[in-house]
Amino acid sequence: MDRRKFLLLSAVAVAGLTFAPAIKPAFAASKLEEEVKKRLGVELNAIKEIAEIRLTAPTIAESGANVPITVEADIPADKVEKLWIFVDKNPIPWVTDVKFTPQNGQVFLSTRIKMGETSNVRAILQLKDGTFVMATKEVKVTAGGCG
Amino acid sequence: MATGTAIVRVPKEAQKGQVIRVQMVITHPMTPTRRDPQTGQETPGHFLTKLQLFYNDQLVSEMNMAAGISANPFIALPLKVESAGVIKIVYEDNKGGKWEKTAEITVK
Repeated sequence: MDRRKFLLLSAVAVAGLTFAPAIKPAFAASKLEEEVKKRLGVELNAIKEIAEIRLTAPTIAESGANVPITVEADIPADKVEKLWIFVDKNPIPWVTDVKFTPQNGQVFLSTRIKMGETSNVRAILQLKDGTFVMATKEVKVTAGGCG
Repeated sequence: MATGTAIVRVPKEAQKGQVIRVQMVITHPMTPTRRDPQTGQETPGHFLTKLQLFYNDQLVSEMNMAAGISANPFIALPLKVESAGVIKIVYEDNKGGKWEKTAEITVK
């Protein structure tokens, strides 16, 4: 092997090593996507974001142990099957699911959740016709609350 | 307060057809199941798994949860009131505990 070939080969090898870890996450589904697929039976990127769902959460949460969230939807309660709450980067992204009936009169949920680190909170509505719609909000967490 | 006790707050009076908020606070530690990264040993958590909201013995809402909800959970759910009646919540945890709490409402 001459010097030129050797240099070229080693350059390729180094490049391969550097880029390999960066490429990997693109192929492996994230924990959130897996969880959504398992629980809802649909792909996360197939869920449309709509403005009819209002997800209220603080922009910056002082403590991840106690993040108040409120979900309200301008969709009649009799068209809604379930409301799901997910936090992207929690060890278990699924937080809760609530089943609604017409007797609720409205789609509404207010509660307090735990967040391990800064990430998106997602409110996904499962409608009676089998479709899913969602609202997303990013919450910055200064001290995690999962430990 | 002991684990499993709850406070349920509803308006004393409501108009027929009005949508009210049923607010509740349940005393519960809500600790997650943890695994030691070194030994792999699991410490079981203690958290609520299910909460049901009844209005005059009719199931209105059902909520599934785990340790992702904060300790001493606060939950508010909507309810459309048609007549005076009893609002009941039934909740259980992963260690077999099951409790219920009722509140009454009158309709003008």
